[in-house]
Amino acid sequence: MTPKNQLLLIEDERNICNFIMTTLKSNDYKVTDAPNAKTGLSLAASQCPDLILLDLGLPDMDGIEVIRQIRGWSNVPILVISARTQEKEKVSALDAGADDYITKPFGTSELMARIRSALRRSSSGSNQLSPAQLQYTAGDLIIDYEKHIIMIHGEIVHFTQIEYKILTFLSQNAGRVITYDSLISHVWGPFADSNNRILRVNMANIRRKLENNPADPQYIFTEIGIGYRMRDNEIP
Amino acid sequence: MKKEINQTAMNFIITVSCLVIATALAFLFFYFVPKNSGNIALIYILALVIIVRFTEGYLPGLISSVIAVICVNLFFTYPYFALNFTLTGYPITFLEMLAVTLITSTTTTNMKQQAKIIAERDKLLSEAEKEKMRANLLRAVSHDLRTPLTGIIGASASYLENSTTLAEEEKSAIVTHIQEDAHWLLNMVENLLSVTRIYSQSTKLKKTDESVEEVVSAAMSRLKIRIPHAPVTVSVPDDLLIIPMDAILIEQVLFNLLENAIIHSQSVKPIICYVTDSNSEVTFHVKDFGIGIPEERLHQIFDGAPYIGSAESDSNKGMGIGLSICKTIITAHNGIINAHNHENGAEFYFSLPKEEVSK
Repeated sequence: MTPKNQLLLIEDERNICNFIMTTLKSNDYKVTDAPNAKTGLSLAASQCPDLILLDLGLPDMDGIEVIRQIRGWSNVPILVISARTQEKEKVSALDAGADDYITKPFGTSELMARIRSALRRSSSGSNQLSPAQLQYTAGDLIIDYEKHIIMIHGEIVHFTQIEYKILTFLSQNAGRVITYDSLISHVWGPFADSNNRILRVNMANIRRKLENNPADPQYIFTEIGIGYRMRDNEIP
Repeated sequence: MKKEINQTAMNFIITVSCLVIATALAFLFFYFVPKNSGNIALIYILALVIIVRFTEGYLPGLISSVIAVICVNLFFTYPYFALNFTLTGYPITFLEMLAVTLITSTTTTNMKQQAKIIAERDKLLSEAEKEKMRANLLRAVSHDLRTPLTGIIGASASYLENSTTLAEEEKSAIVTHIQEDAHWLLNMVENLLSVTRIYSQSTKLKKTDESVEEVVSAAMSRLKIRIPHAPVTVSVPDDLLIIPMDAILIEQVLFNLLENAIIHSQSVKPIICYVTDSNSEVTFHVKDFGIGIPEERLHQIFDGAPYIGSAESDSNKGMGIGLSICKTIITAHNGIINAHNHENGAEFYFSLPKEEVSK
């Protein structure tokens, strides 16, 4: 039996805290909660949790600052809880080093999926040759990183160099949102123009090759104002 | 007070500079065309008209007409550089200049006052318009918030009080009902937040170039979380369309229209959502195949007034606010939103301009 994952929840709102705690405990996670940033930071240091759930609106400290401080000494996955309309806040949280975010209000299934996918990423990062680093599979899509092949419905589809670069970056971070800026600097280099029109055009081309219906995608989802999220890799 | 002093200073500066320029011109004229002194009076009259046009009140015009008369007398009539009011016809010149000044200054002052009154009236009207919108919104909000809140409080109370006697199905029905109402409340709050987003950014939207299909697909994914298995057929043009907009707000509009169509059409036939493209604008359509919109409601469906009177008024809750917010958002984008009935149901559509409209 695998040991239970230890989670830390930093959230000041009592009701939300209770609801998340109940959900997590009933899903077999060990959870500690902290009502403010100060307690949260000291618990994060003393308990070394496997994942931190962080609400950005804390009473005693800016959430972004909490992320920066934790990132100063740890690579523990941080999942940010945030409201829908504050896309700038989300982008700066991701830039500060948060792994992913979840928008309030969220259902339990959504929360569990995000936690699972974040935990999987962090554990596969330590393991040198996990299967997920060789291949991405979701639905009818297979990306073979070794052979540089992308197959849909069992047929090889041709992608341009740039499109392949975008797809591998998104799929290697599957389940997690990738901001426009980090995608642009990964594909076109750090000094690329931050105008994301060229990214939009490439994404539109990828979508037309990949998706049955570009308006109702199955593999790559748009997070408005933030970036893209690729469907979870089905290979553990 | 300070403004009045500024105004007086401005009047003084304009008056003095016009008179000085006129005098200088008159001297030039006097030296180069000495025979024709009739033009000199005309130059002064021109200066007077300009002074009256650009100053406030009667005083500058009056004073400058007296000064002009004295100048003409002093500099340009024999004996030069001396005053002589006994010249033949001189009182006539004096009266003429005075009359010209008086008449022009009265007319222009009148004109200015009228323009001011019109501007003030326009301002009052637009204020009243805004006030009316705010009042409408507030009324609709309080009307619409009360219904689900009453539902939630009642349902949770009955759950707690009767938890021993209720059957499992009854319990889950109650909780489902609470969840429905809470979802609805949340959507309302999201809508209201959208409005504050418009007004907080000093009435100027922050638009960026966004791809239409991404906005549509984002609205679709949100709709799928809200209503799983929602019957929607969605399509976008093959060409990539990129237009300037605040994507979060447009996604909200699209989501509202789709959710409305599913909840209010009272039909299980799939809703069609598609995008059309013309030279100057991109139009988003949401078409349902349900009961349609009552004719008497159609012309004020975006006004935000709560819809009361029909038997199923409760099922129409919130439609008012959602749509009035849609209209606010689209209007802020210089776009057009509209609704009409077709043979088999209702259609909502909105268009956004492809290029930034320059003001």
